[in-house]
Amino acid sequence: MSEGVASPTVPGGVSPSFLRDARGLQRKLVEDYYRDLGSTEKPRRPVAYMLVGGNLTEIVRSFGYDVVFPEIVALNCAIKHQSLDNILRAESMGYGLDVCGYVKNDLGLQDLGGKTSFGQIPRPDLLVCSFSGCYVYVKWWEALAESYGAPLFMYDVPYMREESPRKEDIDYLVSQLWELVHLLEKRTGRAFDMDALKRVLTESRRAEEGWVEFLRAGRLRPSPIEAYFESIFYMFPINVLRGTPEAADFYGVVNEEIRARVRDGNYPLPEEKVRVLVEGVPPYTNYRTFWDFFRKWGAVSVVATYPKVGGLFDRGFRHDPSRPFESIAEYSLGAYVNQSWPLRRKIIADYVKEYQADAAIIHGIKSCRSFTAGQGDLRDWLIHEQGLPTLYIESDHQDPRYFAAAQIKNRMDAFFESLEQRRAVAAVAEAAAA
Amino acid sequence: MSVVAGVDIGSTTAKCVVLGEDSQVLGKSLSVVGVDIVKDAERALEAAIADAHLSRSDVSFITGTGYGRYKIYFGQLVVTEISCHARGASFLFPGTRVVVDIGGQDTKAIRINEKGEVVDFAMNDKCAAGTGRFLDVCANALGYDVGEIGALSLQARRAVKVTSTCTVFAESEVTSYVSRGKDPKDILAGLHASIANRTLSLMQRVGVEPEVTFTGGVSQNEGMVQALRRRLGAPVNVSPLSQYLGALGAALHGRERIVAGGAS
Repeated sequence: MSEGVASPTVPGGVSPSFLRDARGLQRKLVEDYYRDLGSTEKPRRPVAYMLVGGNLTEIVRSFGYDVVFPEIVALNCAIKHQSLDNILRAESMGYGLDVCGYVKNDLGLQDLGGKTSFGQIPRPDLLVCSFSGCYVYVKWWEALAESYGAPLFMYDVPYMREESPRKEDIDYLVSQLWELVHLLEKRTGRAFDMDALKRVLTESRRAEEGWVEFLRAGRLRPSPIEAYFESIFYMFPINVLRGTPEAADFYGVVNEEIRARVRDGNYPLPEEKVRVLVEGVPPYTNYRTFWDFFRKWGAVSVVATYPKVGGLFDRGFRHDPSRPFESIAEYSLGAYVNQSWPLRRKIIADYVKEYQADAAIIHGIKSCRSFTAGQGDLRDWLIHEQGLPTLYIESDHQDPRYFAAAQIKNRMDAFFESLEQRRAVAAVAEAAAA
Repeated sequence: MSVVAGVDIGSTTAKCVVLGEDSQVLGKSLSVVGVDIVKDAERALEAAIADAHLSRSDVSFITGTGYGRYKIYFGQLVVTEISCHARGASFLFPGTRVVVDIGGQDTKAIRINEKGEVVDFAMNDKCAAGTGRFLDVCANALGYDVGEIGALSLQARRAVKVTSTCTVFAESEVTSYVSRGKDPKDILAGLHASIANRTLSLMQRVGVEPEVTFTGGVSQNEGMVQALRRRLGAPVNVSPLSQYLGALGAALHGRERIVAGGAS
């Protein structure tokens, strides 16, 4: 039986064949990271908890800290179908239904002892709240500080309403970065080593170059990459391991694989029928199912905003060892979710042109208003002001109770079906004109 | 004779329409969906074929739609109900630009062009607020059958204001009005008005422009039709076939597929 105007091109599956060496290496990096974190060897390196947005990985890493990102632990729990137990635990502690899924996963996990199927999550020695644009996050870090009795460093990052950062904002952040340095000196008993920071930043920059080369491959027609679903796998090194040689080397392997894909014609789908821009955090609890909803219609994401939450490197930013503190401050200001909606719209409009997107899909998440609020207006703006067919769907990034597969599939089928229909009509009109 | 059929398996009911050569409706069926969707679909088809006084071998092409479309194993094509309601509404009322489909679990606003093609659509959230299920629950709370509440709502003297959009909370609100001695007809009018408000807000997301055609099971509720007309301040197309427009649209999609030579 055929599907709507189009025939289904790809059966559902859990292991897309175009993913090869890089995906295997990424898995190994993840496993090694969690194994090291869970190590019971003494003495162990101190652990800093940090948020992905605007993170200060390089500074804490230069003091020999391991970095844990509870958001990333949470998404790993969700993709492995372990988030609901943690969320229910947090709800039994009194956290409400509408509290952020990342927060509830983390607090529930912590209350259950921090044990996951991928490793034991260590307790923090330091809490760095690196993204202050979400008040729920600020309260989350305060709850962690109270629970663990660990010192809390609150990094206050001004919201970006203009494309270029102001000097006073940079100065304000640099002064806070020095406060963090002094705190780290006091905690570790080590003097700050500028050369060590520069070495870390050099590795960060190398990783950023490789990551951007990967992302920009989405401009090719057909795209050799899946800029949403595949990029999300490859976000781990740029976010979690940034500043290590392993992260930088990883993107060398990725880009070699992408070049081989182009050479061998090994693309995400046999036929790229629709080039899609994706905005929003994915439903990690149903990641493969959601991906299949795209694949079935020959839809390839060629560009996405979510993989930029750890930095808008593809818009030109690089950590700079010659201006260490200033560039870290610029990085923090430039976090995707720290941009005002007019700036986010501009980024998206530029992406549509640069990546020749035919349509946009926005995935809103119920338990996160800081990322999602405004996406309804974005949808209207893309449709009415930019003339881009756009679909808004909603579930959650962490809580499987919000994912209604039949309803989401129905909306996506109808959306892609109508795109196919319009394309078929346009083709007939073109043929008639010729 | 080239006869085609469309089978629409919704969350609550199964509908089937059999169309003749000139797309005239030869037969139709409507039944409640149970737990065995495959059998429900087969029964719906058989009933519509019997209504048309035809046999199964007379039907050359079958299209499935609705939530249960993937369980219609005997068909040759599946199309979403959004496209089918659009096509069906455009067929019955060619001037249609916005289709409002209120079914058992979903409310949809679909903006279409002059060819009956979908331009944009918006649907209710995961919950069943403002759908047929909402009316079912509230009718039960008042001790009525859902089939009689539309006419009763039109006898209201002073509609109450129902503020809850959540089905569960609305049921509590209804109970609360009953305990305060409000006339059930006034409560029913308030419930219908609350769905009309919610539907209008959904329509505004795709853009409201005449003509508006009302489809789905709830379109058979005269109280709802009047509430929607009042809220819109404009006419709303409704037909005795409105509940079948998904199935009718599916059959029309099948017919087009035959014409395009794409039948498999």
